[in-house]
Amino acid sequence: MSVGRIALNLKAVGLIVGMSIMWYALSVAQADDRPSDIARGAAIAAQGVAPGAPACAQCHAYSGASDGSGAFPRIAGQPDYYLAKQLRDYASGVRTNAVMTPIAKALSSEDAADVAAYYANVNAPFLPLKNAKPMLVKRGEQLAKVGDAAKDLQSCNNCHGPGGAGEPPAIPYLGGQYARYTAFQLTMWKRGFRKNSPDSMADIAKRLDDQEIAAVAAYFQQVNASALAATHPKE
Amino acid sequence: MAERLKPVDVVTIGVGLTGSLMALELAKTGLKVVGIERGAPRFTVPDFQSPAIHDELRFSVRKGMMQDNVKEAVTFRNSSDETALPIRRWGSFLPGTGLGGSFVHWNGQSFRFQAADFIYKTHIEQRYGKKILDPELTIQDWGVTYDELEPHFDRFEYLCGVSGKAGNIKGAIQPGGNPFEAPRAREYPTPPMKEPYFGALFRKGAASLGYHPYPQPSANLSQPYVNPEGLALQSCVFCGFCERYACEHFAKASPQTVILPALLKNPNYELRTNCQVLRINLDNTRKKATGVTYADATGREFEQPADLVLITAFPLNNVRLLLLSGIGKPYDPKTGEGVVGRNYCYQTTGGATVFMDESINVNPFMASGANGTMIDDFGGDNFDHGPHGFIGGQYVGAIMTGGRPIEFHPTPPGTPNWGLKWKQAVARHYNHTVLLQQHGTSTASRLNYLDLDPTYKDAWGLPLLRMTFDFPENDIRMSQYIADKVVEIGRAMGGKAVIRGGTKRPYTTTVYQSTHNAGGAAMGDDPRTSVVNRYLQCWDVPNVFSVGASAFPQNGAYNYSVTIGALTYWALDAIKNRYLKAPGPLVRI
Repeated sequence: MSVGRIALNLKAVGLIVGMSIMWYALSVAQADDRPSDIARGAAIAAQGVAPGAPACAQCHAYSGASDGSGAFPRIAGQPDYYLAKQLRDYASGVRTNAVMTPIAKALSSEDAADVAAYYANVNAPFLPLKNAKPMLVKRGEQLAKVGDAAKDLQSCNNCHGPGGAGEPPAIPYLGGQYARYTAFQLTMWKRGFRKNSPDSMADIAKRLDDQEIAAVAAYFQQVNASALAATHPKE
Repeated sequence: MAERLKPVDVVTIGVGLTGSLMALELAKTGLKVVGIERGAPRFTVPDFQSPAIHDELRFSVRKGMMQDNVKEAVTFRNSSDETALPIRRWGSFLPGTGLGGSFVHWNGQSFRFQAADFIYKTHIEQRYGKKILDPELTIQDWGVTYDELEPHFDRFEYLCGVSGKAGNIKGAIQPGGNPFEAPRAREYPTPPMKEPYFGALFRKGAASLGYHPYPQPSANLSQPYVNPEGLALQSCVFCGFCERYACEHFAKASPQTVILPALLKNPNYELRTNCQVLRINLDNTRKKATGVTYADATGREFEQPADLVLITAFPLNNVRLLLLSGIGKPYDPKTGEGVVGRNYCYQTTGGATVFMDESINVNPFMASGANGTMIDDFGGDNFDHGPHGFIGGQYVGAIMTGGRPIEFHPTPPGTPNWGLKWKQAVARHYNHTVLLQQHGTSTASRLNYLDLDPTYKDAWGLPLLRMTFDFPENDIRMSQYIADKVVEIGRAMGGKAVIRGGTKRPYTTTVYQSTHNAGGAAMGDDPRTSVVNRYLQCWDVPNVFSVGASAFPQNGAYNYSVTIGALTYWALDAIKNRYLKAPGPLVRI
């Protein structure tokens, strides 16, 4: 990490500290009614917790946009309840991941609540999908908005909201999520490796073939980009 | 002049629960079956998908899934000395239309009627003597017993995947279930739904008074399930849009999820939608049906000849079709003779509103159509009626089917109906109010009946059905007795204020109560008091069966869909195993 990047991050921490006063009353951790501390969450994101939990920002970026490769999900603006639950599930082993499991185990429940609250409250730009194939995206849009009658498959948006915007607190947004990450998770459900959500996701993933997984993942990454393009025409 | 079509073996009038189930089983035997549905075709994908399916204005307020009462209304009056007027906007009950019928927009509340319900007259007179019956009451036995229906209840529950906890398996009372239920052969297909917070509050209150709370059986499923037709259901996500809506998640049992995908694959079956059946045609003996005449969406008339005609419409429309076709003798309230339209019954509903402290967050929007906790201590004949001088009963439960924003605004009495004070009261009470349901028996009376309206006609020029109905005094006494008990439960739940409910006279059609319209084409052992025999076969025209809740001689305490399903399988058994081998009356007097 460059010196410049750290300086920028510290500036951001200051900004967050100011804003957190406003959020303090609103943002309450679900588990124990302890208000979550966004400023502390920001520090954990930037610096990690010794020992065992390196800075979240190394992979997820301080903005929560991650590196855009799709190896790491975009977490900026995901509901804090959802993020904290994922951390709990990694820690308990309900959700498994070689990178995340030890990190989650190293976080106390307060750490998890605070860092979840931090990332829930940051904004980051959406990165459009490069080289999106129009036919693939179109098929993804159909699955996302309408489903598929032949497969008894309901639309993604029933639960994930119009444009995959999410239904906080429990249901994450898909709109703007990296296609490779979404596709990987669907494959994990389909093959029975991911089990930490209601039965519905495994059942749905099993109805999708690889092409459809790619389609729906591609659609959701570019859906926010196209919405932005529509509302903000090129300058 | 109607165009005459190629004859088929079977025609069903209506493709809802009973029509699709009848067709599924009969098409499997190799018979050519045509299903005629007045409404539009519709399927989970694409028709029931969000966000359109959660349009509360369209479906709850404007009743988007219901019979078009501009084309086809029902006229109503409270008593036979009044003039009936057409119901131009559905209120008290909501007859569905379209493929799948009312079994698409139901709540999924999945009960069996009790053993005593099927031998109601015999049971009541044996236990209490005839003197307990008010003179106008005309209760009777069904001609079929619970034990005969049990395998069919079982089969229907496994078709739908019902989520519940058994209370009585082969006579052994099961902890956690309803100890008052009739014995069942085995557990429900899937475990009960998760208990909502309002259900837990009710459980605590009811148990503290010595009652027996249990989870409501639900056809919105607690987990994924594959039914015996190989059709998969998914688990409910508690969106709170069941009643008046279709399920977008494949989580609610409906013809679209548990029957039609198998039926529509069968080459022996043909579905015709947007076709309005005008009458059943009889030959010149008037003892044999030759088929049906219907009009398609353009108004062209067709005659569809068939060997077997199954009336599988909404109960009110079964009765209307019998009357329009001249099958069975219409009921005459002056003489008490005649059977078609006799013993029309409804449902006694109402209940208490329990206003809780602001620290109690009910979250009513996290709901499902059949996801509550209830007691049967006051259901049917589960308590001694001797001292009370009435018959019947109601189940009581905390069953909140969704806190949808346009419909759900609980405010205490004395709150203005609009303005700032109303808004403040809604904001204060929305998340801190529990509704308690009373839902119970509707006793048949010689004063209540269905016939054809002398004045008003439908879009095809045929007389509308006329409903003459008010709750018998017996039912008011019953419901008001239970209303007191419900107030006690509300207080035991910790209610700050409990507003008493209970059924009142006069019956009004403008306020929603229940879509469990029943009777009018009763089943039974005596042609003088029933339209169809114990197999739902018309006494007068043996190749016509009238299937569904129109066959109930009176209405039981429970939501009736599962009992309709069981009766359908029961009738199917008789048709497949006996009628088809030797067409003719299945019961001879």
